[in-house]
Amino acid sequence: MMAATLGPPEVIAQLENAAKVLMAPPSMVNSEQRQHAEHIFLSFRKSKSPFAVCKHILETSKVDYVLFQAATAIMEAVVREWILLEKGSIESLRTFLLTYVLQRPNLQKYVREQILLAVAVIVKRGSLDKSIDCKSIFHEVSQLISSGSPTVQTLACSILTALLSEFSSSSKTSNIGLSMEFHGNCKRVFQEEDLRQIFMLTVEVLQEFSRRENLSAQMSSVFQRYLALANQVLSWNFLPPNQLGRHYIAMFESSQNVLLKPTESWRETLLDSRVMELFFTVHRKIREDSDMAQDSLQCLAQLASLHGPVFPDEGAQVDYLAHFIEGLLSTINGIEIEDSEAVGISSIISNLITVFPRNVLTAIPSELFSSFVNCLTHLTCSFGRSAALEEVLDKDDMVYMEAYDKLLESWLTLVQDDKHFHKGFFTQHAVQVFNSYIQCHLAAPDGTRNLTANGVASREEEEISELQEDDRDQFSDQLASVGMLGRVAAEHCIPLLTSLLEERVTRLHSQLQRHQQQLLASPGSRTIDNKMLDDLYEDIHWLILVTGYLLADDTQGETPLIPPEIMEYSIKHSSEVDINTTLQILGSPGEKASSIPGYNRTDSVIRLLSAVLRVSEVESRAIRADLTHLLSPQMGKDIVWFLKRWAKTYLLVDEKLYDQISLPFSTAFGADTEGSQWIIGYLLQKVISNLSVWSSEQDLANDTVQLLVTLVERRERANLVIQCENWWNLAKQFASRSPPLNFLSSPVQRTLMKALVLGGFAQMDTETKQQYWTEVLQPLQQRFLRVINQENFQQLCQQEEVKQEITATLEALCGIAEATQIDNVAILFNFLMDFLTNCIGLMEVYKNTPETVNLIIEVFVEVAHKQICYLGESKAMNLYEACLTLLQVYSKNNLGRQRVDVTAEEEQYQDLLLIMELLTNLLSKEFIDFSDTDEVFRGHEPGQAASRSVSAADVVLYGVNLILPLMSQDLLKFPTLCNQYYKLITFICEIFPEKIPQLPEDLFKSLMCSLELGMTSMSSEVCQLCLEALTPLAEQCAKAQETDSPLFLATRHFLKLVFDMLVLQKHNTEMTTAAGEAFYTLVCLHQAEYSELVETLLSSQQDPIIYQRLADAFNKLTASSTPPTLDRKQKMAFLKSLEEFMANVGGLLCVK
Amino acid sequence: MADEIDFTTGDAGASSTYPMQCSALRKNGFVVLKGRPCKIVEMSTSKTGKHGHAKVHLVRIDIFTGKKYEDICPSTHNMDVPNIKRNDYQLICIQDGYLSLLTETGEVREDLKLPEGELGKEIEGKYNAGEDVQVSVMCAMSEEYAVAIKPCK
Repeated sequence: MMAATLGPPEVIAQLENAAKVLMAPPSMVNSEQRQHAEHIFLSFRKSKSPFAVCKHILETSKVDYVLFQAATAIMEAVVREWILLEKGSIESLRTFLLTYVLQRPNLQKYVREQILLAVAVIVKRGSLDKSIDCKSIFHEVSQLISSGSPTVQTLACSILTALLSEFSSSSKTSNIGLSMEFHGNCKRVFQEEDLRQIFMLTVEVLQEFSRRENLSAQMSSVFQRYLALANQVLSWNFLPPNQLGRHYIAMFESSQNVLLKPTESWRETLLDSRVMELFFTVHRKIREDSDMAQDSLQCLAQLASLHGPVFPDEGAQVDYLAHFIEGLLSTINGIEIEDSEAVGISSIISNLITVFPRNVLTAIPSELFSSFVNCLTHLTCSFGRSAALEEVLDKDDMVYMEAYDKLLESWLTLVQDDKHFHKGFFTQHAVQVFNSYIQCHLAAPDGTRNLTANGVASREEEEISELQEDDRDQFSDQLASVGMLGRVAAEHCIPLLTSLLEERVTRLHSQLQRHQQQLLASPGSRTIDNKMLDDLYEDIHWLILVTGYLLADDTQGETPLIPPEIMEYSIKHSSEVDINTTLQILGSPGEKASSIPGYNRTDSVIRLLSAVLRVSEVESRAIRADLTHLLSPQMGKDIVWFLKRWAKTYLLVDEKLYDQISLPFSTAFGADTEGSQWIIGYLLQKVISNLSVWSSEQDLANDTVQLLVTLVERRERANLVIQCENWWNLAKQFASRSPPLNFLSSPVQRTLMKALVLGGFAQMDTETKQQYWTEVLQPLQQRFLRVINQENFQQLCQQEEVKQEITATLEALCGIAEATQIDNVAILFNFLMDFLTNCIGLMEVYKNTPETVNLIIEVFVEVAHKQICYLGESKAMNLYEACLTLLQVYSKNNLGRQRVDVTAEEEQYQDLLLIMELLTNLLSKEFIDFSDTDEVFRGHEPGQAASRSVSAADVVLYGVNLILPLMSQDLLKFPTLCNQYYKLITFICEIFPEKIPQLPEDLFKSLMCSLELGMTSMSSEVCQLCLEALTPLAEQCAKAQETDSPLFLATRHFLKLVFDMLVLQKHNTEMTTAAGEAFYTLVCLHQAEYSELVETLLSSQQDPIIYQRLADAFNKLTASSTPPTLDRKQKMAFLKSLEEFMANVGGLLCVK
Repeated sequence: MADEIDFTTGDAGASSTYPMQCSALRKNGFVVLKGRPCKIVEMSTSKTGKHGHAKVHLVRIDIFTGKKYEDICPSTHNMDVPNIKRNDYQLICIQDGYLSLLTETGEVREDLKLPEGELGKEIEGKYNAGEDVQVSVMCAMSEEYAVAIKPCK
C-alpha cells in the first residue's frame, strides 16, 4: 500500500526515520513513537510486490537496519507471491541478491546474513516445484572458493551455512507458511545430494588449508568457518528415507547428541579413508587453538559414531574402525593433552565404544585393540587426576570431570559385556583405573586428595546446605563404574580396600583416644585441631562408598544378588580359608584384625565387611566415651548406608538363587547360623544407638531407620530380629514416647513405626505375638482413648501436651498404614478403623488447628492409599463411610471460612491437596483391586450381609462438590494442585460417567470448563488426562441417547477442539492415542458435525492437489468404520487408519 | 516420663512453653526466641564442612507483630515452643476499637482489641452489616489477638 502511494525516495525517507526512532536510546523516544515506527516496518513488509522498492533501497540506502528490513521484505514477499511470480524474475532476484552481497564486502554481518537467508529460502521454496536447484549455486560457490580471497571465501561459507540451516530442521527453518511435510521432504532430498555436495566442497577447502604452512590470521579465520561448517554437516540429523508424519519429524529433530547415521548414498564419501585422515590432520594442525579444536574434535567424534546403511558389511565396519583407532592413537599418543581437548577426546572414545558392536571391536588386529585399551586406561587415570585438581581449585568449568565421567562410563559399557574378551583381559587395566580413583580420593601420603599441582595441600571449610547432594548420589555413576572395575579386579581391589580401611580404623581409634586424653587433662578445651580427624573421615567416607558399590548393587524392588565376580572370588579361595578364623574376625569388631592369629587365612570379602564393622565399632565406642561431638555424622551415614546395602544382598542369602554359593558366605550369613544371628544383633544395636545419639542429624537418622526396615521387611530376617531383646526394648521405648526417640523428626518416627509393625509379622508363637502387639500397638490405643475420652477433653484439647499426644498418635497411624502388606492388611485395617472413627471426632475438636486437621486427613489418605486395593466389599464400604463423614465435617467447618495468613503459599492449600489425594486413592480401587472377596479377611468377618449404604461414587462426588468451587484458576497455577485436580476429575469421568450429567448445573459447567482449560492451556500431561476423560463422557452420552442434554452439547464442542488438535496443531506424539480414542467416540456421537468440520476444512484448500489428497485421506480414515459405531473392533480399525492419516496428511496442514 | 500423664488438671500450672530439640521443630510450627512467640516459616539445615554437625536455620515471624527474624542454632539445642491456644468467640459488638466477645461459658470478654489492617476492616464491615460472625482468637505466652473470622452456624 505504502509502495503504491509513495515514490521510492519518500519510502526510503520514511523508513530511515522509523529506523532512527527504533535505534534511539529509550530516553529519547516514547513508546508511542516506537510502536508507530514498528508499525511502519510491519506494513512495509506486508506491502504487495515490494521487489522494485526493495532493490532500490538496497542500492541506495545507507542505513543498515533499513537494508535488513528490505531483505526481510523480499524474503517474505517471494514466498507469499510465489505462484504469481515469473520463474525468470525469481531467478534474477536471487542473482541480484547474491551479486549484491558479493559486491559489498563491507556489509554489516547481520545484513549480509539476512540477505543470504533470503537466498536460501528462495532456493528451498524453489526446490518444491523444481524451478531452482542447488547445482547452479554450488557452481558459483566453488568459483568463489577458488578465488583465493579470504573475504570471498568467507562469503561462500556463509552461503553454504545459510542453505544448511534452512534445510536442516523445522526448528531452525524460517517460517514460510508451508507444511511440515514440505519441510521434511525438502530435507530428505537435500541430504541425499546437496548436503554431500556441501561436504565435498568443505573437505576440499580444509584439504587446501591443511597443506599450507603458515596461515595468516585472516586465513585461519576462514579455515575455522569451514571447519565449523564440516561439523554442522557431520552432525546432520539424517531423516530415514521413508515417509514420516510430522510428529515423527518433530521427534527426530528433538533428539540431542545426534549420532552420524547417513543414508547409503554417502558410502563412497565417508568410507574414503582420506576423509577421516584429513580430520585427524586438521586437528593436529590446530589443536592449540582451543576454539578450533572444539570443532575438529567434534567432527572426529561424529565420525567415530558412524553407523547404519553406510557400511555394506561387517568387514567394512572393522576396516573403518581399525583405521580410525590408528588415526586416533597416532594423534594422541605422545602428546600432552590440552585442557580444551579432554572432553572432545573422551567423546570420541565413548562414541567408538558405544556405537561399534563388540564383535567388530574384537575383530580389529589384537595389538591395535590392546593399544587402544592401554590408551583408554592411561587417559582415564590422567583425566581422573586432573579432575581432582579441578575440584581443589574449585573451577567453574569442570572439563576434566566431564571427560572423566565419559571415560568411566565407557569402561562400564566395555566390561559389562565381557564374553567377547578372554577372561582376565581387562584385569590389569581395571587395577590401574581403580588404584588411581582411590589415590585421588585419599589424603597424602597414600593419596593426592586436596593437593594442588605442586603438592601443596589446600583445605577449606565451606558451608554445605542440605540441598547439596550426598557424594553417594552425586557421584553414583562414577562409583558404579569404579565398583564394577573393582569386581573385575577383585583379587587386587578387595584386599586393597581392606588394608586401607583397617589401617585407617587403627589411626582413627588412636586419634580419638588422644583427643579424649587431652579433654581429660584440660576439660572444657574444645579447641582441638580437627584436620587430622577430618582427613581420616574423608578417607573412610570414600573407602566405604567404593566398598559399597563394589560389593553390592542397589536395586529397586528386586532382590539384589551377590555379584557373580564376588561370589566366584570367594569360592575360588575358599579352600585356603579357615572358616573359624573368618568368623572370629567378623565377630570381634572391637579388636584389630591383625591381632587375631591366622588372620591372613580369612575370606577376603568377609574381612572387607568386617573392616567396615570395625569403623562402626570405633564410632560406637567414641559415643560411649562421650566424644560424639568429635565424630562425623557423614561417616555415620556412610556406615549405615553401607550396612543396609550389604544386608539386603548378603544377609540370609537365599541359596536357591545361586548355582553355587561360597562356603564362607553360607557359614557366616546363611540361614540358621550363629553368624547371621550375631550380625543382626549387632546391626540392631547400632540402629538403637544411632537413633538416640543422632536424633539431631536428620539424614543420618533417616538412613538408620531405613536400615531397620531392611532388617524386618523380609520375613527370614525379621524372624531373627524379634529374637533380640533389644528389639523389644526399642518397641517399648518408642511406645512410651519418651526421649530420645520422641526427638526424632516425624518422617523418621513414621518409618520407625512402620518397621515395628513389620517386625510384628515375623514368626512367633501366639502368646509371644499377643505380647508383642500388647507392647507395640495397644499402648497407642490406650493412650489415645484415655486422652480423648476425658470429660473435659474439649477444654484440654488445646493444651500442648494433649496436642502432642494427639499428633504423635496420628503420625504413628500413618506409619502403621505404611507397613501394610497383603498378609497383614486384615489385622492392620481393623486396628486402624477404630481410630478413623475417633479421628473424625477430632476434626471437630481441632477445627481451628489446621496442622492437626491436615494430619488427620493425611491418616485417611495413607490408609486409603495403602489398603483400599486389598479390601473386600464390606470393608471398603466401612472406609467409604468413614471418609464421607470426614468430608462432611470438613465441609461444615470450612464453608465460608476466610484465612488470614502471612504466608500465602501452596502449603496453605495442603488440606485441598490432601482431600483430592484421598478421593483419588479411593477411586484407585476401581482399577487396582487385589481383594478376593474378602479372602484376606476370612475368619475376621462376622458374616454380615453387605447392605450397600455408601458407594465410592457417593464419597467422591460429595468430595468433588466440595473441591470444585474452591479450585480457582489461581490455584491451578500451583503445579501439584493442578496435577492432582486433573487426575481426580479424569478418574471421575472414567469411573462414574453416569454421574456427570446429574451434577448441579454450575458444578457441571465448571467441570467442563476445567476440561477445556486442561486441553488447551495446561501441560501436556494434563492435556492427556483431559483427553482420556472425554471418551467415557461421550460414551455416556451415546448410551443416554439424549440429544439436548448439556453433556451432549458439551461433547459437540469438544469434537471441534480435538479435531483441531489432531489435524491442525503441532502436538505431542504421546497424545495421539488418547486424542484418537476421544476423537473416534466423539465422531460416533456427532457424525453430522464431523462431516461439517471436514467439509469446512476441505473448502478452505486452494491447491487442488492438496484438496484431493486431503479428501482421499479423510475418506480412508472413516472407510473402515462407516457408519461409525461404538464397537471395539471398529474403533481399533479407526485408530490404525488415524495413524496412517497422520503420516499421510498430518504434515500438510501443520504450517510453518 | 511416666506412662501416666495427668490430663485432668486444667489451665492452672500449665506452663506457657515446653522444650523441644531444635531438629524436631517443623516448618509452620512455633518457637519462642528472644522472648517472642513465633511461627516458623522457613527451616533449613546446613553444616560447616562435609564432616560437620548440622545447624538449623530458622526464618520466623512473630505471630502477633508479624515481624520477621532469622536465626541459626546447632540442631542439638533445646528450644522453647509456645503453648498456642485458639478459641472461637461470638462477636457481640465493637466499641472504641475493642471487641466484645461471648465465650462458650456465656461470659463476655471485652479485653481484645479490634485487629489492625485487612482483618480488622473485615470484622468491622461484617459487624456493621449486621452479620453474625465468630472471631478466632489465638493465645500464646499470655498474649491474645484475633486472627480470623467466619460466619456463625
